[in-house]
Amino acid sequence: MTRTVGQLLIEDEAIGVPGAANRTITGTPEAVFAHVRLGDDGRYRPLSGAATLPTGWSAPLGPAFDADIAIETVYPLALTHQRQFAAGTLRVVPLEDVLARQSGRYESSAVLSEEGRARAAGVVCGACVRHPVWNGAACAPEGIPCPEACSVLVAFCREAASWQASPPPPEPPDPRIPWAAFEEPGNELRERYLQEMAEAHD
Amino acid sequence: MTTLALVGHGSHLNANSSAPVHAHAATLRRRGRFEDVLTGFWKEEPSLSRMLDGCTSADVVVVPVFISNGYFTKTVIPREMRLDGPLTQRDGQRIRYTGPVGADESLAGVIIERALEAGARPEDAIAVLGHGTRRESESERNVYAMAKRVRASGRFAEAGAVFLDQEPGMLDMLEVFRAGTVVVVPLFVADGWHAGQTIPADLSLEGAETRKGGRIVRYTPAVGTHPSLAAVIERLAGSAAE
Repeated sequence: MTRTVGQLLIEDEAIGVPGAANRTITGTPEAVFAHVRLGDDGRYRPLSGAATLPTGWSAPLGPAFDADIAIETVYPLALTHQRQFAAGTLRVVPLEDVLARQSGRYESSAVLSEEGRARAAGVVCGACVRHPVWNGAACAPEGIPCPEACSVLVAFCREAASWQASPPPPEPPDPRIPWAAFEEPGNELRERYLQEMAEAHD
Repeated sequence: MTTLALVGHGSHLNANSSAPVHAHAATLRRRGRFEDVLTGFWKEEPSLSRMLDGCTSADVVVVPVFISNGYFTKTVIPREMRLDGPLTQRDGQRIRYTGPVGADESLAGVIIERALEAGARPEDAIAVLGHGTRRESESERNVYAMAKRVRASGRFAEAGAVFLDQEPGMLDMLEVFRAGTVVVVPLFVADGWHAGQTIPADLSLEGAETRKGGRIVRYTPAVGTHPSLAAVIERLAGSAAE
């Protein structure tokens, strides 16, 4: 039986992501984890759920590396959160609580406006295969529920808070810039946010 | 049995930052002394706040893979993991929280191993290189304490602390030490941004060994990447609060 979780295709004897290439990865958590750390463009993927999994590979499944282990390797806690969400026991934490508890470098994330938080969540979570149930998103049984804003979204909110008073002008997205380098002009998520912000205020 | 929860900083920008934590976790899983070995990170996944989701062990020991007892171990980790202190009782689960691996006195032995692996001889100087900070003096004290233990071992002519971000600065280390060869051991968890990139660049290092004005500077990998750190983690977990 074939099924998908996020971008991952799970077959009886292998998992992987379809694509033009046809690379075989050793069927161990360590090998698969190392492979999915980088996207097709070679950039580091700090967010496991980012829809940037490398394509064109598969890894054989076996007793020591079954489908559940494989899924948890690529999407940590995905199955745990699926089970807890289905059972109604998933501990869901709203964004306002996550931002309010920050200190130090990320304390300023809490001053981001409601509008900014919604836009930030749209941009960051829109790039992720997990479903932000903390934000009221729906999640089908085979989907991956996200119970709490991740550190990437918090970091993005911190940057977005700094853009509130005087937003920098949007620049062309530059796919060479690290995925989570939100302070760098050209970062794709940054530019998407600034573009939406500019359009909203036109 | 006990579940071991290793917590690290991780990074949004550097894929190597969390590598030592994953490596030590893999080692400890193979040894099989814990019911399970979990990992969690401030800036990667699983997050600190969710890493115990689904963990049903009655007994959990949380060991921070951090170099000193400071902002992260005192504020961020307890807050994110909802810990009450050294001992947390929650939903029938006992969660014990230890000090960081970097402040455990046995880490001095790992520093010595690193130096010896880099070819350190009895006549050489060992520079224990810490980050240092103007905010948190406990971090500074820990680097000095480790250097003192290395010195007390009597295995080298000199041993002392130098810092990336405070005095005595690493750029002055050839004035701090008299020995012809100075072996620099970075007291960092990973060969990440600082230990792997900025420090070698700032010191104008040319690899593992660099000649400067008739003297030799040897630079080792970060202490936190040494395989024997797994034994330090086991020791800390074993001494966790009862």
